[in-house]
Amino acid sequence: MTAILESSRIAKSFSGIQALTDVSIDVMEGERVGLIGPNGAGKTTFFNCLLGVLTPDTGTVRFHDRDISELPVHKRAQAGIGRTFQRIELFSDTTVREHLLIAERVHNERGSFWKDLIGRGRPQADEIDRCDAVLELLGLAELGDEPVEALSLGQGRLVEVGRALMTEPSLLLLDEPSSGLDREETAALATTLREIQAEKGFAILLVEHDVDLVADFTERLYVLDFGSLIAEGPTAETLQHPAVRTAYLGTLEVGDQEAMP
Amino acid sequence: MLASFGEDFFRALLQGTPPGTVYALIGLGFVLTYKTSGVFNLAFGAQAYISAAMFFKARQDWEWGIVPALILSVFVLAPLIGLTLERLIFRNLRTASAVSKLVIAIGLSVALPALFELLANYKPVAGRPPTGIVPDGGSVFYDPFGIYPFSRDELAQIIVAVAAMLLLGALFRLTAAGLAMRGVVESPRMTELAGIPADRISALAWAISSMFAGMAGVLIAPRLNTLISTDFLTLVIIAMAAAAVGRLVSLPRALVGGMALGWFIALFNTFLPRWSDDYTWLKPFQENLTPSLPFVVLFGILVFWPAIRRSIDAADPLAGVDPPPPALASATRHPLLTLQTRAFGVVFFSFIGWVAFTQADVRWVSLLTQAVILATIYLSITVITGFAGQISLCQGAFAAIGGFTVFQMADRYEMSVLLAALIGALIAALVGALLSLPVLRIGGVWLAIATLAFAFFFDAVMVKFSWVGGGSTALLTGTRVPRPVLGPLDFGASDRSFLALAIVVFVIVAVGVIQLREGTIGRTLRALRGSEVAAESIGISPARARIIAFAVSAFIAGLGGAMLAMQQKDVNYGQNFTPFAAMFWLVLVVSLSARTVEGAAQAGAAFVLFAPVILDGTFLTWLPFITEDNLPGFFPIPGKWRFVLFGLTAIQFARHPEGMVEFGKRRATRKRNERYYARDAERAAQAAAEAGMAT
Repeated sequence: MTAILESSRIAKSFSGIQALTDVSIDVMEGERVGLIGPNGAGKTTFFNCLLGVLTPDTGTVRFHDRDISELPVHKRAQAGIGRTFQRIELFSDTTVREHLLIAERVHNERGSFWKDLIGRGRPQADEIDRCDAVLELLGLAELGDEPVEALSLGQGRLVEVGRALMTEPSLLLLDEPSSGLDREETAALATTLREIQAEKGFAILLVEHDVDLVADFTERLYVLDFGSLIAEGPTAETLQHPAVRTAYLGTLEVGDQEAMP
Repeated sequence: MLASFGEDFFRALLQGTPPGTVYALIGLGFVLTYKTSGVFNLAFGAQAYISAAMFFKARQDWEWGIVPALILSVFVLAPLIGLTLERLIFRNLRTASAVSKLVIAIGLSVALPALFELLANYKPVAGRPPTGIVPDGGSVFYDPFGIYPFSRDELAQIIVAVAAMLLLGALFRLTAAGLAMRGVVESPRMTELAGIPADRISALAWAISSMFAGMAGVLIAPRLNTLISTDFLTLVIIAMAAAAVGRLVSLPRALVGGMALGWFIALFNTFLPRWSDDYTWLKPFQENLTPSLPFVVLFGILVFWPAIRRSIDAADPLAGVDPPPPALASATRHPLLTLQTRAFGVVFFSFIGWVAFTQADVRWVSLLTQAVILATIYLSITVITGFAGQISLCQGAFAAIGGFTVFQMADRYEMSVLLAALIGALIAALVGALLSLPVLRIGGVWLAIATLAFAFFFDAVMVKFSWVGGGSTALLTGTRVPRPVLGPLDFGASDRSFLALAIVVFVIVAVGVIQLREGTIGRTLRALRGSEVAAESIGISPARARIIAFAVSAFIAGLGGAMLAMQQKDVNYGQNFTPFAAMFWLVLVVSLSARTVEGAAQAGAAFVLFAPVILDGTFLTWLPFITEDNLPGFFPIPGKWRFVLFGLTAIQFARHPEGMVEFGKRRATRKRNERYYARDAERAAQAAAEAGMAT
């Protein structure tokens, strides 16, 4: 298997505070990788460096053997990095299907000013078919014509996933997908994601604080603390790593949260 | 040589000090309101104007003494206006988006001067120059350094402005309210958490900053020949330039910024003429640039100072949580209702068309034509503001480019004016695209301000070039434009045929705009407005989308401007396309409906026909038994009321960003809409029941 994402020695500081120190993370083709760490460990900063929202002080990001460190956000998206948002980001005043349609259109670059003027800019039948297929896959087929304001948080997150899928990403970055969801919703989301991933074969990098989800969903795990990687490896082993347990899990066993008062 | 350079330098500094202190004063006031209530108070110039005009009125018409006139205009009227605005409008808008507050402030700066002039019965009269706050202000001079004589007015400017700033400083340092205000300026949320009533503090800040505005207006008035409200708009630009130096957050830096601006302008005026003696190509720039320096400085600061861009994010923490705009009424409308609306539209417009083409006299045909052309121009606002969500205040400049191109092409090359109109629209599109490049990165409120600075720059500099506006003398004698001739069709022969042409152009542009809205570009812009980060995450380039929006919008405005010039057979820049006119356009369109073609059409009709039809009472004469002779006595209502009315309607923008008409339409049709849907559901249930029985 080959690495599709290689980020090497990423460092970033904010006005003297070192948020990231030499963080190197690789993601293989079709792999499910997790990135966890306590609050303030630098997860979000790292995520933003990968996506181009922030420019790292040093280090490079390579994607499919191409240096994308200098590319702006939308070019990285075009290169094949899809994402979802921790605080849900949908296009207001738009239906579920329209979300997917615009992503489909942008991805295929079929838009042009002159086509718009002669009315070819409207959604075409083949585009609508492809979007409906993805909605079906996500179990959102019934909701295609709903305005996004009418959706629950869990459904909204699925719309984000669907929107990202229309751009046919080879890597999907999930930013704390469980935030705001309860246990059942999280489990349902994980199941749906796994099914879709099995069909489409893209890789997933999951940034998460919900250890259950990470333990259940990912194959490999990176652990951040104070801006540095403190452990990496297969998920089950890494979660048992002593440094990880003291830094992140405290003295609790995985799955013990339910026993807490 | 060197000694004289030093002396000139020093003289320029002295010369720049009086205006510099006044600029600092308004810069401080601007920052104060911005920081305590988040309002980009574009109406600051209007407030300064009202105090200056009140002072003028009291002194010259009522022959009051200086002190009572000053007390009335600066210490009573000015804070009263500030408190009223704070209490009635801005206090309720604390959580509104920065852009909607800006639109409201633009509406106020259109409405307030007109309202004052109507209530106080004030009319600017040429040949009666305003006087300052000291006797013989313009005729007695003092020369303490032996190189620059200060007039008494100038000394008064320095003394009063410095005293006001010292008082503000003392208030801040020595009183409890000042401490609280300092807290609010630093962090409003923290101050509220500490149990200090932010409302009262913000009211105090509005009162103080309004007094500063009023004082600045009265102090600056003697520099003008005639008190006209639009001249005071430039004061806001100066205030914003000073405030921008302080990145909108720092009072001391705004003070320095204001002083520096005064000195910079004076130095520029001293030295540029000399260089342009040596380099002749500098000459036209030197002659035209001087009055526009504040705009150039502001534009330069906004575009080239990266710190500004960073401060924007910090200054607008609520930008990301703007409530979503409600869906257009048409999106939730029942098909039957749409059909009814369309049928009504066909009947209505057929009637209007019948009247226009068979019954109406020349005056009404000309008014109708103007309405249709302005509706075309307003479609440019539909694109840039309605679709792209950007406030552009330079649509007047884009339209003027179209008009001037037609004039130049017809005048110099005797080109067909229709071809020239297309070229003009293309040039406008190019200028729009070029302008959008540097300002795109700043976005939001600052983008609006940068376009305003550009509009003023165009107004003060570009129009005067002989290759644009035909030189200042030509402006007086007219920038004549012929009517188009297309093969056998001579649109100059009858006004009705030109009306037909205007309608055809409007329909073509409107169809194009609708196609864009439903096409890739419109949907991309909607995605960007919905969530910029999410749009980027699927590969949409925000810059590219917005450049296209700017270019398309400028194209439409340029085309409309060319049509207007043809219709009036003259560009009439001063009457049609000034920055103030562009502000009124924006206010009009957003207060009706910025996102629909109907909104643009209604705004065009409102701009042209509101005064002759409604305010003159003409609509009553269309009823039986009423003729022009027995109209109620209060007609005709002064035309200025439309500025007041539409300016104040813009206040509703925060609550109804889709526009008043759009909102009204939705409310008016909601009941019927629901009834139709209910009936549909009932029928479906019935059909299902019958199907169930059958099986």
